[in-house]
Amino acid sequence: MMTNGVVHANIFGIKDWVTPYKIAVLALLHEMSTTKPMALLDRRRLNKLILPLQQGPDLTLEQFLKIVEECCLRMVNAVKHRYASSLNKELFFKKNFILKTPEPLITFSLFLGLFMRQMLLAYNKLSFSQVYKLYKSLQQYCHRVQPELSALPTEDMELTSNEDPSAESDESQGPLSQKQAEYFLARQAYLLKNDENKAMSPAKLQDELNNILKFNPDFAEAHYLSYLNSIRVQDIYISTHSLLHYFDRLILSGGEGKSNGDEGYGRSLRYAVLNLATLHCRFGHYQQADLALQEAIRIAQEANDHVCLQHCLSWLYTLEQMKGSDSVVLTEDSVKIAAHFCLPYLASLGIQSLVQQGAKQGMPANKLLDALRGTDIMHWKQSLSELIEISLAQTTSIWRMYGKSTMARQQAQLLLNMNSLEPVNFSVQQNNTEAFAVALCHLAELHAEQGLYAVVSDIMKHLKQQFPPHTQHAKLWMLCDLKIQFEKAMNDGKYHLAEPHVTAISALNSTEGLYRKAQLLKALNQTTEASQILQQLQQQCEKSKDIEMTIRVMLASAELHWDSSGFATALPLLLQALALSRQHNLQSLTSETLLHLAFTQLMLGIPEQALVLVQDVLESVLAHGSLIDKGRALLLAARCQMALAGAAAQEHRLTALEQAVHTLDEAAVYFSQLDCKERMRDIHYLQARLHHTLGNISQRNKCSMLFRLLDQELPSSGMTVVSHL
Amino acid sequence: MAATRSSEFGDLVQIKKQLISITAQCKERGLVHSVKWASELAFSLDPLPLNEIPPAPELTEEDARDLDALCLAKSYFDLKEYDRAAYFLRGCRSQKAYFLYMYSRYLSGEKKKDDETVDSLGPLEKGQVRNEALRELRVELSKKHSAGELDGFALYLYGVVLRKLDLLKEAVEIFVAATHALPLHWGSWLELCNLITNIEMLKSLSLPECWVRDFFMAHMFTELQMIKEALQKYQSLMEAGFAKSTYIISQIAVAYHNIRDIDQALYLFNELREQDPFRIENMDTFSNLLYVRSMKPELSYLAHNLVEIDKYRVETCCVIGNYYSLRSQHEKAALYFQRALKLNPRCLGAWTLMGHEYMEMKNTSAAIQAYRHAIEVNKRDYRAWYGLGQTYEILKMPFYSLYYYRKAHQLRPNDSRMLVALGECYEKLSQQVEAKKCYWRAYSVGDVERMALLKLAKLHEQLNEFDDAAQCYIIYIQDIFSCGEQLEHAEVSTALRYLGQYYFKNKLYDEASLCAQRCCDYNDVSSSSAAHSQLRDANLSPFGKMLILSPKQVM
Repeated sequence: MMTNGVVHANIFGIKDWVTPYKIAVLALLHEMSTTKPMALLDRRRLNKLILPLQQGPDLTLEQFLKIVEECCLRMVNAVKHRYASSLNKELFFKKNFILKTPEPLITFSLFLGLFMRQMLLAYNKLSFSQVYKLYKSLQQYCHRVQPELSALPTEDMELTSNEDPSAESDESQGPLSQKQAEYFLARQAYLLKNDENKAMSPAKLQDELNNILKFNPDFAEAHYLSYLNSIRVQDIYISTHSLLHYFDRLILSGGEGKSNGDEGYGRSLRYAVLNLATLHCRFGHYQQADLALQEAIRIAQEANDHVCLQHCLSWLYTLEQMKGSDSVVLTEDSVKIAAHFCLPYLASLGIQSLVQQGAKQGMPANKLLDALRGTDIMHWKQSLSELIEISLAQTTSIWRMYGKSTMARQQAQLLLNMNSLEPVNFSVQQNNTEAFAVALCHLAELHAEQGLYAVVSDIMKHLKQQFPPHTQHAKLWMLCDLKIQFEKAMNDGKYHLAEPHVTAISALNSTEGLYRKAQLLKALNQTTEASQILQQLQQQCEKSKDIEMTIRVMLASAELHWDSSGFATALPLLLQALALSRQHNLQSLTSETLLHLAFTQLMLGIPEQALVLVQDVLESVLAHGSLIDKGRALLLAARCQMALAGAAAQEHRLTALEQAVHTLDEAAVYFSQLDCKERMRDIHYLQARLHHTLGNISQRNKCSMLFRLLDQELPSSGMTVVSHL
Repeated sequence: MAATRSSEFGDLVQIKKQLISITAQCKERGLVHSVKWASELAFSLDPLPLNEIPPAPELTEEDARDLDALCLAKSYFDLKEYDRAAYFLRGCRSQKAYFLYMYSRYLSGEKKKDDETVDSLGPLEKGQVRNEALRELRVELSKKHSAGELDGFALYLYGVVLRKLDLLKEAVEIFVAATHALPLHWGSWLELCNLITNIEMLKSLSLPECWVRDFFMAHMFTELQMIKEALQKYQSLMEAGFAKSTYIISQIAVAYHNIRDIDQALYLFNELREQDPFRIENMDTFSNLLYVRSMKPELSYLAHNLVEIDKYRVETCCVIGNYYSLRSQHEKAALYFQRALKLNPRCLGAWTLMGHEYMEMKNTSAAIQAYRHAIEVNKRDYRAWYGLGQTYEILKMPFYSLYYYRKAHQLRPNDSRMLVALGECYEKLSQQVEAKKCYWRAYSVGDVERMALLKLAKLHEQLNEFDDAAQCYIIYIQDIFSCGEQLEHAEVSTALRYLGQYYFKNKLYDEASLCAQRCCDYNDVSSSSAAHSQLRDANLSPFGKMLILSPKQVM
């Protein structure tokens, strides 16, 4: 057969052909349809068995019989008998009776009927010598396992015993028919997409693919799977090779499918370049990706292919984003055009990308959430489950950014508990997308904030299992894990433990790493270095417009000012941070800034103002903040109360002091949950002082003893209780 | 080395005797190709006087017993009834009969395999069809081998069986043993040649000291693209007395073809055809050469001649394909290459050539397919990789074609054409730095088409790097004039014009005027008019400039 002037390997266009194994399956089918009385359970088991048997690779007779035996003992003998009788030469040549079973049980138009008809057709097409060959192989197939089925002088048995093991293993791995190979590829590709852990290991899969390609080099799809597989192990060499090979092959077959051959051919060319661009994107070769993308755009433009152009555009803004430059305009264009050409997937992907950028740049929250809701309605209408997941994960992130931990938790749970809309194939539900990873990471961080470290480690374990370290989204949880551990070490005051985490974080995210380094240096009292790093960070953040980080850097700088008792100099910085965080609706950062402000005011000697500020934010901190924030806010409130009490009249003084003791007790609860010993020491100290003033001697003694215990345990920090929040 | 060789080859009479006896032995065993090689070589040596002709070897007892069966079997064997031959030989004891017995079983398996390929059960099974006899043969031969009962011929057969079973390492060992046991049997050497992939492997083998070894080494060097060494070897063989051997002449011609010394190769092929006018082997290579030189009448004569001799040969089809291609009848050319592929699907050259034809016909998708097939047959086929690159470049996908050109470049690191192609792609992608590197490298490895420097110069010109551009043009002009022959695409006038302008700008008026004058020699209208005006400027301005400059000079 010639297409476009080139000889095709698949001459008859037969996708499947009769093999001894297929005949065995047919024998089983025949038996099943003829044996009327059968236990319901047995029948059900057999029915379940048939599909994998029919679609799987050829088994040896021994394996086949064993599988049948496991399901239904009675059936084995019948099948064996029927199968052996098919060996009878005369019957075989007349017309293999197994092949015609027009039983009412099996409808011709349905799946099994189709299979039987295909087999019959394939059988009828065989020439005499082919039938003879089939007969011979049938004989061999039987004798290899069960010499008792027929008494043939087994000359070749001797030979097989003499063979080397390599040839033997080669034998067991028979060739797959095109049907079987297609089924295999579809299954593995689905698994790769949805749950990589359940797919074959990369090495084994590659072996299988090589095997398929050995027997049918024209089977282009195998090259594509090989491309996917080698991306899994980050092998750029083989993945490029396979990708190009696939498209070289596809170019011809692509022309076949379309009515307009030329169109299909040009189309696959465009997508070939686009795929190459994505490949380079994936490996972080931005320049190469850019070149490939430009090429794709140029050819698509020449061919007037708007859909392809649209795909290119969406990749273009993704690439720009990856490179860290501003791509809002591009994205907006992309959304508009996608909507014009009725490409809902691309359009809402663009909107999601816009929302992400908008959130970073401080767009009003209601607009962002409105946009997401609008797209969500469309997703549900069109069952774009992938986008629904992304949207949920994005909402989680946005709520988290705004500092509404409850909402974030709720959205994350919603995503994790949602049933996927996609059909569940091969008993695998899709749950390895980036959205899941993001949601799980958020959950882990949220739990860590509440001090529930056991839960966090459970989540991390699940993440590690679901997204093994070599996979694409593994970096997400790695960073998250490191951050949590760093925070924990810092809270515990174990700075030596925090140090290696800083290095690891910088490897994954340099900005975050710098920030953490500054924090660590600040905690170690190396203020000069810390301030240098903070300045550097400030510049970086201004360039990349990372608002969250900017505010955090400002707060850290303000803290540095406190250390040098420059409380007045910290004020403008804090006010700036406050303005920024309010503008961007970052509630948790706003309350944090306010606490900082209150502390500064306290230090500047205006405790009334400070207390008012603290009481203002206390509500939201207690509602959404992390344990440490709650503790810190209460501690600050208590200190304000103490400061006020000093100035108050005698009778008010005692009640005010008692109130302060009470507040400190509350704070102590949070800190003890976190096991934050340094803070506990401070609290005990303050409480002892208060009890002393109040004259509760026993209480005072108890508190001072606790303080003493902790103080001995902890290395004496240079800081006094007054100089930090 | 020279001394030993002269002593080895000194006795041509002895060699001739050996050749005659091995011819007889191979003939008895049906090893036709080795017979052909040996007798070709023997033919090139002077005939022996009657008393020198070696007598037929003595028959042993066993031989005598098996004589009738052997005769019968051999006749069946010659009629390609291998199973029948094997049946009558099964009880024989002598070495000769045993070899023929095994060999006919092997050939029977091969024949059945070929027949079965046609009506296998399905397309995927095609890769599965194999010679069923191989396993049994291997088992029996390995038993005999461990008992040490195999002679040189049987060892050769054992090696072939192993190779067919893809047990290459074992096969190499056995073939080496076969050459030791029977160094005169060319078949073993040839098989060994196919299994050796690099020079290190070649050096690690211990081969017998025999005059055949020199032939083997020369052949090996050609295969490994070490053409200089190969030519040296062949030259010394010719000097040693094999000057008339058509085999050596053809080998040398092929070697010259590989290093693109077209004139030498053409000369040798013509000589070869004079000596052996009905030869078909290697004629496809000859036709390639004629094609490159666009020698239409010669090519058409060759094609006519070969069709007369045998039209169902791969070589003939390739020659006809080339002929049609030269006459720009690409459809017919493709048809003939397809026919060649039908005759031998593993014929690598035909796939690539077919790809070229489809390229000419602008049928890019078919061309891609053809090239891909060529790569599948041999991954190291740099022409197919290059062709793929070209195809994608034609489709205006320079980035995409980079990968293919890179592959081709990897395989032929010192071929300037790939480098120039790479450079052009980079230029199209506006990656000037890489493009410059490629062009410069292309020039450094010896530019075949002499285009690299010109392109480099133009690139420098675009980037306003005037000094570099001028430098490149100067080298280019020197290069063009030193090579003597007139090249069609030479753009000497462009180079001269640029240089003229460059010198003019740098106030080197003498050089500028010289360049402009030389430029006027070329009858390129646009450039000459520009040059004329420039010449005028160059002649006039020195005075004008000098007048202006003179006050300063006085100061």
